[in-house]
Amino acid sequence: MMFKHLFKLIWNKKKQNFLLMTEMLFSFLVLFAVFTLLVYYYDNYKKPMGFEYQNVWVISYNNAYQTKNADSLNNYYGILRKSIKAMPEVRELSFCSFNTPFSNNMSQGRVTYHKKEFYHMNFYTADDSYQATMNMQVLEGRWFNKTDVVAKDKPIVINSDTKEQLFGKGTAVGQLIVNGDDKDKMMRVIGVVQSIKVKGDYAPAGLGLYQRADTGSLRWFGKIMVQVVPGVSAAFEGRLYKTMANYMKDSNIEIEHLTNKRTSINYFTLIPMIVLSIVGGFLVINVALGLFGVLWYNINQRRGEIGLRRAVGASGNAVSSQLIYESMILATLSLIVGSFFAVQFPLLNVFDLSAGIYISAMLLAIIFIYLLVFVCSLYPGRQAAAIYPAVALHEE
Amino acid sequence: MIRLQNIEKVYRTDTIETLALNSISLDIAKGEFLSIMGPSGCGKSTLLNIMGLLDTPSKGDIKISDQKTDHLSDKQLAQFRNQKLGFIFQSYHLINDLQVLDNVELPLLYRNTTAKERKMLATEALEKVGLSNRIKHFPTQLSGGQRQRVAIARAIVGRPEIILADEPTGNLDSAMGNEIMDILINLNRNEGTTIVMVTHDENMAHKTHRLVRLFDGSQVQ
Amino acid sequence: MLKNYFKIAIAVLRRRKFFTFISLFGISFTLTILLVLTSFIDKVVGDSYPDRKRDRSLYVTRLQESGKDGQSSSTPSYYFLTHFVGSLKTPVKLGISTSFAGTNTYVNNKKLAVNYKYTNADYWDIMEYDFIEGKAFNKLQIDNADKVAVISEDMKSEYFGDIPSVIGKYIEADNVKYRVIGVVKNVPITSYNLYSDIYLPYTVSKNDYKKGRGYLGDFTAVMLASSTTDVPRMSDEYDAMMRRIPMESKEYNKMSSHAESYFRSYVNTGNDNMSGVTIVLIIITIFVLLVTVLPTLNLVNINITRIMERSSEIGVRKAFGASSGTLVYQFLVENIILTLLGGLIGVVLSFIAIQVINSFHLIPNLVLSINFTVLGIGLLVCFFFGLLSGVYPAWRMSKLNVVTALKAQ
Repeated sequence: MMFKHLFKLIWNKKKQNFLLMTEMLFSFLVLFAVFTLLVYYYDNYKKPMGFEYQNVWVISYNNAYQTKNADSLNNYYGILRKSIKAMPEVRELSFCSFNTPFSNNMSQGRVTYHKKEFYHMNFYTADDSYQATMNMQVLEGRWFNKTDVVAKDKPIVINSDTKEQLFGKGTAVGQLIVNGDDKDKMMRVIGVVQSIKVKGDYAPAGLGLYQRADTGSLRWFGKIMVQVVPGVSAAFEGRLYKTMANYMKDSNIEIEHLTNKRTSINYFTLIPMIVLSIVGGFLVINVALGLFGVLWYNINQRRGEIGLRRAVGASGNAVSSQLIYESMILATLSLIVGSFFAVQFPLLNVFDLSAGIYISAMLLAIIFIYLLVFVCSLYPGRQAAAIYPAVALHEE
Repeated sequence: MIRLQNIEKVYRTDTIETLALNSISLDIAKGEFLSIMGPSGCGKSTLLNIMGLLDTPSKGDIKISDQKTDHLSDKQLAQFRNQKLGFIFQSYHLINDLQVLDNVELPLLYRNTTAKERKMLATEALEKVGLSNRIKHFPTQLSGGQRQRVAIARAIVGRPEIILADEPTGNLDSAMGNEIMDILINLNRNEGTTIVMVTHDENMAHKTHRLVRLFDGSQVQ
Repeated sequence: MLKNYFKIAIAVLRRRKFFTFISLFGISFTLTILLVLTSFIDKVVGDSYPDRKRDRSLYVTRLQESGKDGQSSSTPSYYFLTHFVGSLKTPVKLGISTSFAGTNTYVNNKKLAVNYKYTNADYWDIMEYDFIEGKAFNKLQIDNADKVAVISEDMKSEYFGDIPSVIGKYIEADNVKYRVIGVVKNVPITSYNLYSDIYLPYTVSKNDYKKGRGYLGDFTAVMLASSTTDVPRMSDEYDAMMRRIPMESKEYNKMSSHAESYFRSYVNTGNDNMSGVTIVLIIITIFVLLVTVLPTLNLVNINITRIMERSSEIGVRKAFGASSGTLVYQFLVENIILTLLGGLIGVVLSFIAIQVINSFHLIPNLVLSINFTVLGIGLLVCFFFGLLSGVYPAWRMSKLNVVTALKAQ
């Protein structure tokens, strides 16, 4: 009954309310965008990192030793590995492809499983000691070892995201995946590891598979991951550097710590997030003030009507809640329109984010708008409740 | 000066039609001081608004200074009002954000006058209503009678041929009302300004040359 | 007339202080955000240190080769730049340098991350780095492969500490000792084609750049024309060259590379089908819309709400001869006065915001500032904002019926 009455009031003032509703609609859309980003980041943030980066360093080198002879190549890197491993501060080391964690390098391709294609698969190449160096968690099967040399199908280890996408709850170990769509390039899954968030805390791990390094890989590798004991000195790093530089005379050498690389890659996701939050916050404050002002003014304009309502027996509370209801109905109407737009994002799968993220962002934005409108109409409502019928009607 | 012929005004809403004015014909001569009386809602203000070209009739013709007005554009109407007409309202309608002098200057703003000229004319008009010592005040600092005198000064500053006054004494006590009335009578007598006044007050109405009574939108006297 | 409008505007602003506050808050903060953004863009792509001859330079930063089985895109090689680009007639100088790369050095048991860059001699003729001391290396030193280095101010203080002169001293980087011959003013990393901590002759590189015949490599080039009028000709000649030169291998059937202006090369995505300029413009447009639409709506809303408050004034003005047009003009002027006032506050706020941002050192050596370009854009934005938020309410106001306007009070 009351609602019908309120709807009538709103409908009769549709021209006045139209702008107010447009403003709420835009605020909702802006909040939806900001919350989508925040929920997305948070969703990624609460997932495990997948490895221990604290004591891992990356050594980059270029212009590596070139030879056609496989034995001398193995020999060359074997000696380097031994001399680094011999240092008491080094726990483990591993040669691997360029796409190390927290770097900007990527190597993506496509795989096929049961005729279904998966794009954006990250191809990592690493040797047998990689899992130990990074302290990666093996969830199923095992990491590579020497026995893999003789395997008929190329052995691979996949990450947990890939497992979930390709096999769901089933077992992954033993399954065959096709590299590209070339039937001759079969790869057999021998293990599943916890996904590593290679792009930092706030970015998704993405699909990933690991291939075992062979002699050929050494020709194009350029990274060595080194796990050191906690609390080593800069002097040791200098020594490690000299060892590398003296051994690989033609190379430019750089040593970086994953802790620092993590900070700087997070920086690149955090800065846009902070900027967007500040801008979003400013817009919300702006809208809140505007809403408050307009509602407050409207109540002053409607003193007569409110006085009349009081005179015919509405209590102060009834009047103030009527005004709050009115703005809430306005908000609801805008939110219905806004949700129609917002819901297109998961339906059309615009940015390849999961529907859950969009829906939580939408719910958050809806709650936020309701809260905002409620708070903004609370004080004007209370003020309306304080209007004395006699005074208001006399003014008319 | 003003000639109304068969003026009709109908207000329409979705469901009902109200006849506010029913076939009014009126001739007002140059230099005449005419008052219009009638009970609330009889259409007297509507009639005045139509004479002032603030409202348009649903039917009928208006001629002011022998000029037909129905074909004028918004801009021409504005200019016409500015040149020929002056308005006085019951609730003064002064702009509270402006000082007395600025309020009086208002009609001159919409003409080609220099600031100096405007100031001179406005001061002169204020002298006529006896308020030359209040030019820097804001309307809110004045009494009701003083405010209405400012409003009169504003109405006469542009030297219009016709002044339309809508219950100019309605918000004032009788002493102040008489004061205002005297100013209007002097204006009519000394300057020959045609004045049309809507009023509730028989005493005021009897001070004018002619009285027109309206009842339910029709002229009864 | 304007004076009268001004009086009214100020009076209206003072009467409803809360509304004025909301309006000014919205305008000034919007402007602050836009000004900081402008200042950032202006600094990142508009700052002409050290390439002050930007208006007669073209930049070659990308080469894309595509074939049936895919495509590769990278910076061009030394061979490509000297052999093909070096044969062009229009450029009077051809500055060649590698992209900066990282290495370490260890001093007093402290690790320093060092970015280094190899250049040729022309590079120093085109770029006008400010030398704090010393000078750049010349062609002779390059031909002799002298182990000399030009370092940045920051590098100097980090490596050598606070000493007056470092010319002739040795700096060790990448396990090699270089003699310092010049110190230059810092370049922020955002000018990524020109930034480095240490600049070295390309001939001392551990990699023998002269050996390869591949087209893709580590280098970028700056071509300098003798005058600005020669720039289009230089670009045409470059394109003609690209059409002429043979494919690198049979894998590829298409090759593309352009000599571009600084801004275009700055936002080059490395993919010919995706113009960086378009992307940047779209992002900026969306951002600006986002930031302005809501405050504008807010302002329109408030302005409309205030119509009723001024109905008496509108009625009187109309009665005494103001046409609708005049009224629209009056309210627009009022609104523009309001926005300009907000703009003034916005400029002050931007000033503060920029100081705060600078004090955070988010990007080393990137010092934001407000200059006349930024201020001019701010003023324009204000004016536009004022018009935008004023037109609709003003139109609504002017359409108000005189009789109702005079009645409502």
